[in-house]
Parts: sequence; C-alpha cells; structure tokens
Amino acid sequence: MLYLFQVLNGLGLGMIYFLISAGLTIIFGLLNFVNFAHGAFFMLGGYLCWSLTELTGNFWLSLLIGPPAVACLAWVAEAALIRRIYRLPHTFHILVTVGIALILQETTIMIWGPTGKNIPVPAGLQGVVTLWNFAYPTYRLFLIAFTSLIGLALWYLLEQTRFGGLVRAGSESAEMVSLLGTNIHRLFARTFALGVGLAGLAGVLSAPIRGVHPFMGPEVLGIAFVVVVIGGMGSFTGALLGGLLVGLVQSLMSTIWPEGANLMIYGAMAAVILLRPYGLFGRA
Amino acid sequence: MVPRSGLPGGSAAVVAVILVLMPLVLPSSTMATEILIFAMASLACNLLLGYGGLLSFGQGIFFGSGAYLSSLVMMHAGAGLISALLTAIASGAVLATLVGALAIRRTGIYFVMMTLAFNQTAYFIAYTLSDWTGGDNGLLDVPRPPLALFGATLADLSGATAYYVFVAVLFLLVFIATVTVISSPFGSTLIGVRENEARACAVGYDARNFKIVAFALSGAVTALAGALYAMLLNFAPLENIQLSMSENIVVMTVIGGTGSLLGSLLGAGSWVIISDILAEVWPRWLILMGGALILIVLFLRGGLWGGVESLMQRFSHQNKGHQGPDDAPDEKDESV
Amino acid sequence: MDRRTFLKTSLAATSLLMTPPLLRRVHAADPVTFYGLKSMSGAYAGYGEFAEKGSKLAVDDYGMLLGAKPLYVTIDTESNPGRTVRKVQEAVQQQNARLFGGCTLSSTALAVGKEINKAGGVFMTPAGADEITAAECNKATFRWTVPTYGAIQQTVRPLFESNPKAKRWYTITPQYVFGEALLTAAKNLFEELGIEHIGNSYHSTQEQEYSGYLTNAMAVNPDVLLILGFSGNGANCLRQAANFGMKSKMTILLAWTQGLDWFQSLGPDLLEGVYLGAQYWHQVDAPVNNALVKRVREVYGINPNYPLAGDYIITKIIFDAVARAGTTDGPAVIKVMEGMEYEGPTGAEKIRAADHQVIKDYYLLRGKAKSAMKDPDDLATVISSGKSFPEGDQILCKMS
Repeated sequence: MLYLFQVLNGLGLGMIYFLISAGLTIIFGLLNFVNFAHGAFFMLGGYLCWSLTELTGNFWLSLLIGPPAVACLAWVAEAALIRRIYRLPHTFHILVTVGIALILQETTIMIWGPTGKNIPVPAGLQGVVTLWNFAYPTYRLFLIAFTSLIGLALWYLLEQTRFGGLVRAGSESAEMVSLLGTNIHRLFARTFALGVGLAGLAGVLSAPIRGVHPFMGPEVLGIAFVVVVIGGMGSFTGALLGGLLVGLVQSLMSTIWPEGANLMIYGAMAAVILLRPYGLFGRA
Repeated sequence: MVPRSGLPGGSAAVVAVILVLMPLVLPSSTMATEILIFAMASLACNLLLGYGGLLSFGQGIFFGSGAYLSSLVMMHAGAGLISALLTAIASGAVLATLVGALAIRRTGIYFVMMTLAFNQTAYFIAYTLSDWTGGDNGLLDVPRPPLALFGATLADLSGATAYYVFVAVLFLLVFIATVTVISSPFGSTLIGVRENEARACAVGYDARNFKIVAFALSGAVTALAGALYAMLLNFAPLENIQLSMSENIVVMTVIGGTGSLLGSLLGAGSWVIISDILAEVWPRWLILMGGALILIVLFLRGGLWGGVESLMQRFSHQNKGHQGPDDAPDEKDESV
Repeated sequence: MDRRTFLKTSLAATSLLMTPPLLRRVHAADPVTFYGLKSMSGAYAGYGEFAEKGSKLAVDDYGMLLGAKPLYVTIDTESNPGRTVRKVQEAVQQQNARLFGGCTLSSTALAVGKEINKAGGVFMTPAGADEITAAECNKATFRWTVPTYGAIQQTVRPLFESNPKAKRWYTITPQYVFGEALLTAAKNLFEELGIEHIGNSYHSTQEQEYSGYLTNAMAVNPDVLLILGFSGNGANCLRQAANFGMKSKMTILLAWTQGLDWFQSLGPDLLEGVYLGAQYWHQVDAPVNNALVKRVREVYGINPNYPLAGDYIITKIIFDAVARAGTTDGPAVIKVMEGMEYEGPTGAEKIRAADHQVIKDYYLLRGKAKSAMKDPDDLATVISSGKSFPEGDQILCKMS
C-alpha cells in the first residue's frame, strides 16, 4: 500500500520533471543549443505566478499569462542575442546562457527581494483525496492530469502538425529545411520560445508545491540535465520516460533507502550512460 | 587555428615579471596567492579546452579532492608539505584518468554532461563521507607546514608573503612545464586530434590515449592548486568540490582566452580582482559579471588575452607596416 | 593600502605600478573599526541584507568609543567560505582588523573564527553549528545562537508537557552534521520524556521534494511530526505537509526556524496552528528589544527579525566590551566578554566563560490564524520560552 502511494508520488514528481526537461530537450534537438538558463526561466515563471496571483487573487490567470510571458521574453532574447551564437561551439552557448541565468537571478532579487515567497494552492484544489489512511493532495492529482494533457498536446504539435514536422526535420538537417523554403530563423525563434515557455509553465505549476526562491534555478537545471541525459538529448519520448524514471526512483528510494535517494539518481544516470551512451532514446 | 607555441622562454619571462609585480600592485599578497592558485587551475583547464578541445565541467572533482587528500595526509598521517602536495598531484592524475577514460567515450555535449554528472557524484560522495571531509562544515585546521627536505627545514611558510613566494615559484614551474608539454610532439598531436580527430587517427595516433593523458596532466595540476588553496585558507570547504567551482574555473579560462596559456593568468586575475571590487560596491554585482560573459562571447571571443594580442598586432603593424594578417585568435571552428 | 583606496587607485593602473610597499602600511587608525562579515551576495543574500541593517544600526547609534565615533566596514562573504577566509586574512594583515562579527554559514564561521583567533582578534557570530562553542571552540570566538540542545529542550519539552497524550512522534531530518545534532538531542529527550519515536526519514540538504518522506510518516500515523530542516528545507517540507492535509491530522513542530523573515515568506495560511522554534521574536517584551523595535521601525520601516537583531546585539556587545576594556586589544576585550552580563533583545543574556556561548532564551511559537493577526507581522504567539544549555560534563569545549 505504501509503495502504491510512492508510485503515485513518483508519477506526480516525474511529470513535473518531464515538463522541465521537455523544453530543454526540444531546444537542443532542433537548435543544437545548450540552455544553461533553463532553470532561471523556470524560476521566472514561478515569480510571475506569485505576482499575478498576489495581484489578481487568481492562480488560473497566472497559469494563462505567466508561461506566454516567459516565452515572449525568450523570443526577445533569441532575436537579440541567441540567434548570433548558434554557430559557435557549445562552450560559448554555455557562457552566454550562464550569463543570462546570472542576470535573471540577480534581477529577480532586485524586483522581488532575496527571500522566498509562498504561493497558495488554488481554491478548489486545496483538499486531499483520502484512500485508506493515506491522503493525496487534489492539486497533485490535477497536476498529473494537466501535465498529461500538455504532454499529449506537445506530442500532437511535434508529431502531427506542419510545425512539428519542420522541427523534427530541422533537427536532422537545418539546411535541408531552409532549402525547402522555410524561414529557418522564424522556426528557430519559435522553438526556442516554446522550449523556454515550457520551463515557465513548469515554474508556474510547481510554485504552489515548492514556493519560489531566487536561487532555485541551478537545482532545477541539475535535475533537468539528469533527466535529459537519461532520456537522450533531443528526444521528447526520452524526456517523458526519463522524467518518470527519475521521479519514481526518487519516491521509491525515499521509503526503501532514503539516505541513498540522491546517489541513486546519479547512479541510474551513470548506468544509463555506460550502457546506452546516448540515453534511452537519444541519437548519436 | 593552432595556438602559437611562441618562445617558451619568452612567455615564462613575462610570467616571472608579473609574479614579481603582483604582490606590489595588489592590496595584499593573500589575494595575489588566491589569483595564482586559480590561475593554476585555469591553466590546467586551458590545457584541456584550448589545446585538447575538451570542455570539462568536472575540474572541481580534482580541485576538491586535491584539497581534501593533501589535508588528510597532513592531519592523519603527519605528512610534510612536499609529500602532501605529491599526494594531491598523484590523486588528481589518477582521478582524472578515470573520469577522462569514461567521459571521452563520448564527444560534444554528451562529454560535457558526463563530466558534469561525475562532478555531482563526487560532491555527493564528499558530502556523505563527512567523517573525513567534515561534510557541510568543511575540513578545519588544515596545517601549512614549513618547506622541508629530508628533515631539514628550508623555509617557514606561515607568513603571507613567504607563502606567496612559494606558490609563485610553483606556478612558474607549472607554467614552464605546461608550455614545454604543449610545444612537444605530444602537444602538437593533441592539437592535431582536436582539429581533426579522424585524420590524426588515420595517421596512426590513438586519439583516446592522447586525450586521457591530457586529462591526467590537467587533473594533477588542478589537484595541486586545490591543495595549495587548502593550505592558504587552513580550511577545505565543501564548496571546493561543487559544480560551481568547475563552472568558475571554466569561466576564468574562457574569459582569459584559450589561445594562450598567459590568458589563464589574465582570466583568473581579472575574475578575482573584478569580483572583489564589484562585491564591495554593489551587492547585485553578479549582473555585471553575467553581462561581461555575454559581451565576451559577442565581441571578444579570444578572451582578454585575444584582445591584448590583437591590440599588440595592430600596434606592431602600424610600426612595421602591413605584413599580412596573422591568424586571428577568435572564431574557432572546432566544437567541443 | 586598504581595499577602498585600492578601488580608487586601481582606476589609475599606471600610477599604481609605482606604488612602493611603504605606502600600503596603515597608519594605526584612531577610531575603533568593526568588520561585519555579511552574505550580501550569493545564496544567503536574504540573510545578509538584514544582518547588515543590524550591524549598521548598532554602529550608527553608538556614541563615542575610545574618544572617536566607531567605524564600520562590510566584508561581503559572497556566500563563499573560501573567499571569506581570504578576505578576513587580508583585513587582518593590511588593515590590522581585530573586531569581527557576523557569518551566516556555519562552515565559514568555523574557519573564520580560527583565523581571527590566530590573529589575536575577537569574533562573534549567530551561526548555527554547535561545534563553534564545542569541539572547535577557541579563545576568539563567541556565539549568540542557542545550540541545537537548547532548541530541542525548549520546543519538544513544552509542547509535550502541554499535551502529554501526544506520545508518538515522527522526525524528518536533513542528513548532515547540523541535522544529526538536532536529531540526537531530540532522541535523548524522547527517551527522558517517554515519547515513542516511531520513525525518522533522512533527506539531503538539496532536497526539494518531500512527498516520499511525508508518505512514510503518514503510513505510521504519528501524533506529532517533528521537522528538523530549516530555511528552504523546512519551508518546502511544511508546505508539502500542508498540501497532504497533515496539518489537520497531527501536530507539526519545526524545532529550528529563522523567525520573522521566514514566516513572512510562508504566510499565515501555512503557519496557522504550526509550532515553531525561534531564536528571537520581535514581540518579546524586554527593554532592549522594545527600544530596538522602535528604532528599526523608525530607520528601516520594518520589524526586526533574527538576522537583524542578532547582528545588532553582536556589534553592540563587542563595542561595549571595547569600551570597558579601554582598548581594542583582543585578549583584553575577550577577558571583558567572558562572563559578561547584559540586557539583550531576548531579555537578560550572559556570555558563559567556559565555552563563549551566550546564555539566552529560546522561544516556542505557534502560528496565528489570519483573522487573529493584529498586523501583517503578527504571525505567531509565544507559547513558552526559557534557557537550556549543556552543563557540566556536557560542555564539550576545551579552550586552549
């Protein structure tokens, strides 16, 4: 019974990890670009959620406005800066995005202050669902359902639409796509905004569970890297299964061997790297 | 572009002059010592990145373990200065060989991710072994023994200036050794492997072995820097082995410029000095550091040293007339 | 040459090259200078901001000291232990600095204390690690914070005594030196009081997700959930426990919290009915505290919190000791401080000579309902307070 609940916990956790990593992996897949600012955009989503909830008293409004706002910021950053450095080696991608992450983190402190904030669970989802003597928060059930829907929508977008086809074709060969007459710049910009917007969405959704804090970016980035390495860089399916795997390992370990929960995550990652060097669903 | 090996004697002389000037110009010799220690770590990172084309986010593993192991042999086994430093060097080389051998099985971003993952693992190990490492509290009471050889004390290093001189001499030795390695056949092959791995392999070189040896050298030097840092602070904090330490070392290296070993000294120096000044002026100084990183990528890809070089070139061109453009230090075509 | 002069002169790099070492000798400064180690930037910036306000206020409000207005210099720790130790060494060597106070991070406080001890200075800190006044104690270092032993004694005991039927306790502990110290103290007290310790979950200090540990706790249905993590660990653990509806099923106690600033970041909905241990509370009725609250409202427009009050009193005590010693000489100031009794923000406080630990009150608070709050900072009521410290053989400090 306990384990059943830990599986449920793991699913909820894994879906959040999936959302965080999906953006990172989509951007890497098409743009071959490593975004070290991904965690900072996640944090920004959380802070926008706090401000909007505080201002309007309505969490749903912040869910509607927050992620597109983060995506818009990403779109501007892409046009102003990121676009110029795609062709450079990864070292420079990392430097620029570390720079962006630092600027976002410190600006957040200037605007919202250095101490964290709490975001209440939206009214209507505050209760718990009770099964035997266990309780499971309604909000987390909503989260599992909602992220599944987002996942489906993403799958549809990437697999069934023209945009998705271009993104997938572009990750095989960007030149080919631009030869076919597509404006590759616009495609890149949209994909970047989409990926970062997903980080913002994850930030908004997990805010009621984790609160927000100016220094949460690097932690989130660390988990996203683990998920993406396990699932395979650039693979959407990989992000989903990697996220679930990490979530489940973490939850089950917290009952079986709590001391080793973190070590096990890295252990799992090391095992995957050694056995399947490009991740479960990655391409060489 | 092939980094110019230049005259090893020439750049070593430049370094020697800088080493003499640093304590006179800087606010304290303690700060100068910190700069040299990070310059040493950055030099080792430069060997991998600038010459081997390997971007390692795992340098903190070697820095941290060098600090821990040298401290532990002094505290528990009564080791002296030289044997403690040798322990650090050896442990750094062994760990780097291990990390290198596993990580270089992949290239590109997977390689970076693997070094990053190893760093996290090392951090958790150090965190868990708190009986040895002090865990979150750090390892306290690290001694700074006098320089002694075969029982004869040669110099007392407890003073800040004495310790600076000791670190400066070591830095100069490491610098000369690194320049020698790079201008040796090993160095040019390493560069060849970076430029075109397939061709180097076709000529009969085993690229893997070259990369692993580069890793071992880099790890040894980084661990030496870590050991010297612990002795400077009499303290080995857990932060030494954190991912952020690796990140800082990479950032210093790239800011300084990966085209020349002198860049590492410049990079570490400017990072330490500028962050010190900014931290005193404005608590949100990290914004400026973030902005500086972006500007460097946009306008000064060869790093600060690249900027210095192109300035010197422009100057000499004006004096001697045009002699045809030298290879610009920026725009490297290789990807990590 | 001190750091600020360096800043100016470094702009004129050429002239700097000519600076002969002689110029860098500091003419022994006449005014007493206090060096505040504050995490202004980096991950603990939230703490440093308030600590800086506390020290500044103490310096500004201090009258004449040894014939001059005292001065204050901030050293930004950058939340980085290595950088802090180096900056302290530099201040000692270049500016002849001897009087230090502050440090949020335990590792930094431990290492800095040793450096200052070597230099013959004085250092007082509000950091959390018990080692500061136990195994790693030294002549120069003083600590204002109540150790883990007192935090557990002053929270678990009064809570249990007010509700002796709550016999089954579950603990959630961050796995590192500090968390272990709290857990050991709690286990010893459980045994003494006949409390049944029905389980413990360890987590790493980086943990963000507590659903797994909370599920473990729910599985054994405890009367009291004792959360031993603080700061971000404690915040997320409490937040998620509330999500899981545990607040209505059991009593929740956080033995070690940062106090007001941390409460503000969580809000009354989460805190209502939760028991909270604290080093300081601005509503405590003590003469020094009432005056401090009034001043801080005037100057900063806020209520003082633990970092602010802690660094305020640390700065003030060191100045008082300097005034009484009539010198800034380390050993003389230390001698005055050992056994010193004074009125502090928690009422009567005393520095114990044996281990340089300040003997002061620790508080058990309970979160108020939003409707019961008189102002936005009226987030909790004091349930009990008192002084508990290791005594006799339990004082582990061997002052050398």
